[in-house]
Amino acid sequence: MLELLDIQKVYRGGKVAVDGLTIRLGTGLVGLLGPNGAGKSSLMRIAATVTRPTRGHVRYAGTDVVAKPNALRRVLGYLPQDFGVYPNLTAREFLSYLAAAKGLSARSARARIGELLELVNLSAAGNRPLGRYSGGMLRRVGIAQALLGDPEVVIVDEPTAGLDPEERVRFRNLLSDLSADRIVLLSTHIVSDVESVANDIAIVAHGRLLRRGTPDALLRDVDGQVWEVTVEPAETSRIQERYPVTRIVRTAAGVRVRLLAAAPPAPDARRVPPDLEDAYLAVVRAAGHPERVAGGLR
Amino acid sequence: MIAGLALADFRDRVRRPAYAAIVLGAVGLGYLAAPGADGRWVILNLGGYRGVYDSAYTAAVIALAGALWLMLGGFYAVRDAIRRDERTGVGQLLAAAPISRVAYLLGKFASNLLVLASMAGALAGTALVMQLARGESRAVDPVAVLEPFVLLTLPVLAVTAAVAVLFDSVRLLSGGIGNIVWFFGWLVLAVASQSSTALLGGIGVGYLADSVRADLAAQGLPLKDAELGLGLMYVDQPLRTFDWSGLDVDAGLVVQRTCLVLVAIAMAALPALWFHRFDPARRAGAAIDSGRGVGAVINSVHGIGAAAPASLPAQPAGHVGLPKTAVRRGNPAPRLFVGELRILVRAVSPWWWLGAAAIVVVGLVVPPPAALLAAGIWPVLIWSRLGTQPVEHDVVTLLGAYPAARRRLLAEWAAGLAVTVLVGSGLAVRMLVTGDGAGLAAWAAGALFVPSLALALGVVSRTQRLFQAVYVPLWYVVVNDVAALDYLGAVPGGPAPGLVAGAGVTLLAAALAVTEARHARR
Repeated sequence: MLELLDIQKVYRGGKVAVDGLTIRLGTGLVGLLGPNGAGKSSLMRIAATVTRPTRGHVRYAGTDVVAKPNALRRVLGYLPQDFGVYPNLTAREFLSYLAAAKGLSARSARARIGELLELVNLSAAGNRPLGRYSGGMLRRVGIAQALLGDPEVVIVDEPTAGLDPEERVRFRNLLSDLSADRIVLLSTHIVSDVESVANDIAIVAHGRLLRRGTPDALLRDVDGQVWEVTVEPAETSRIQERYPVTRIVRTAAGVRVRLLAAAPPAPDARRVPPDLEDAYLAVVRAAGHPERVAGGLR
Repeated sequence: MIAGLALADFRDRVRRPAYAAIVLGAVGLGYLAAPGADGRWVILNLGGYRGVYDSAYTAAVIALAGALWLMLGGFYAVRDAIRRDERTGVGQLLAAAPISRVAYLLGKFASNLLVLASMAGALAGTALVMQLARGESRAVDPVAVLEPFVLLTLPVLAVTAAVAVLFDSVRLLSGGIGNIVWFFGWLVLAVASQSSTALLGGIGVGYLADSVRADLAAQGLPLKDAELGLGLMYVDQPLRTFDWSGLDVDAGLVVQRTCLVLVAIAMAALPALWFHRFDPARRAGAAIDSGRGVGAVINSVHGIGAAAPASLPAQPAGHVGLPKTAVRRGNPAPRLFVGELRILVRAVSPWWWLGAAAIVVVGLVVPPPAALLAAGIWPVLIWSRLGTQPVEHDVVTLLGAYPAARRRLLAEWAAGLAVTVLVGSGLAVRMLVTGDGAGLAAWAAGALFVPSLALALGVVSRTQRLFQAVYVPLWYVVVNDVAALDYLGAVPGGPAPGLVAGAGVTLLAAALAVTEARHARR
């Protein structure tokens, strides 16, 4: 069990990134969802022992890992949101160096690096300097390094950014496999990434845990509150001011707006089944976060 | 547009610790430049005389000392502006903006100059404080305070700012080689431009000398050229005072200094002829797939284009299961060492290895001093990487979640030691064969000291420049037979090997302590 108890992180200048958040993680995958600036990455860094919390405790199997971080680091696989590599080393050399840092024996490191490069589809490029890798390839090297030590705890922060659709699916499947007998914490702001793999979703905003539950439970929260209405283009601004809008699509008949409302927003509004994006936006909006529809009209 | 660029860049730089360190150095220099009445360490010696500490003299002497210091220290503080834009990806944004190469380069020049001028501003304030602190004259003349900074220091800083842009734009000079080249260039310029006949007035000593000479003559106290010295020096007797009337500012002086600034502007704009404007295809040796910088840093921004497509393939081809090989623990020290060695030397050119081989051979066949001094400078760019690589390549974000930080640091130090031993191995073998035990002990102490110094300065500053700025002058004073600082064992009468080795061990311990402290405050 990995426990983050009453975690607070205040950065220099007084910015509160995490504000008294408690979350307990057992075997399985927890999807951490939240808007930009919600404190997800700070929380992930604290869970991964990279950053010390200003207040609170992090315990793994009963050990205080703020005081004794190596107890977790030995069994941790961490993929940060942003990271660098040594551009003149090949992927094999870089992973070999990191395997040594993890304390793996030479033989098991060599074998696992081969298997991991195959897993992330980089076997053919394994002897090429990392400076010649594309962004997606580097991300896959990051995934491989997170799995070097056969981790008991896997913490991945926005792992699919930069991956092509096929690699994203491959990675989601990998996370599903890992979560069978490991603790997996996945942070993202892409709802569909969480939807497909997580049976346990935590929504954070303003550094606080707003809601935690299964996808079904989250969907039940907004059942009967999601509507679609087609309006004139000039009316969309007015609608956006009055209701939390989750989707806007321009059609031949006008602008189709998907929104959240307790009662029908217009006589011709049509009630539709909610999806996880609706549930997520409902929670975030209720907390007062001005999460907007990405991309505006589509 | 140039002003906007310069201002943004200026704000970014003055918020860094290096800026505060250079300003503090400048203020300290201001203090040294105006010693007390019985002071023996002086910066400007006018043939055994100094001016009374009024506004004009205090400002002039601090302005000249500041010009000399900021030409060197300031250069290291302001350089790297173009490469930083390349590393951070800001260059790609600017490349897509409607800004010409000349405007971009002049923006960088203006930003460099703003940073250096703000340092000179701190020096002007120090001059005022020192005048009042010394108490020889209480009359404050703001024009007399500012005049030498504007007319003497600022044009020199303009040249420094321009050289920094020029070096940044030339691939060969944009890294550590440029730092070393500038140190020796500075030495030459500092000496050559002190003469009365220096081009466009040089650093301005000539103007001061002319006016001082006239005043001393009027007071019946002759001054010869050879008796005028700028630079930290010890005098047997405290300097005697005379009344100095201030700089003789005439049209000739103003025109010369303006010309120097114009030369600097032209020098800063010159790289427009070859500047690659952050186009990866135009960079020498560029061979990347992604079109990003060669620094290979991944960040979430790159993921925007691929985020959340409407539909995904149901199942990618060739699903591969989790690794089957069980994890076994072992002794990672040798592989950590090999990894750190690869990180240090993988990018080194074959020419460097050829030079190292030559030093080994020369060390084997020629008596020590020459090969020792060569072995003491040849790996400087490799040493300067120690302690900086995880931060420079942003690998620190990954390594932060890895165990055994201390072991990694020791492996890094051992890799630096290995390079040192390798380059000096010819000498060591020769000393062993000839039974030169004392020489061998001094060599071993030096081999221990240098990578420790590099690691400590790298860990503290997280940049290669501090070691380069400290080590090259240190090596230079050893070349000039200053026995007290001889860490290489090249000069008779230098410190005992035990002392040098002790300093090395202390520096290594300091590097470990700083790493531990940072970890505790993470």
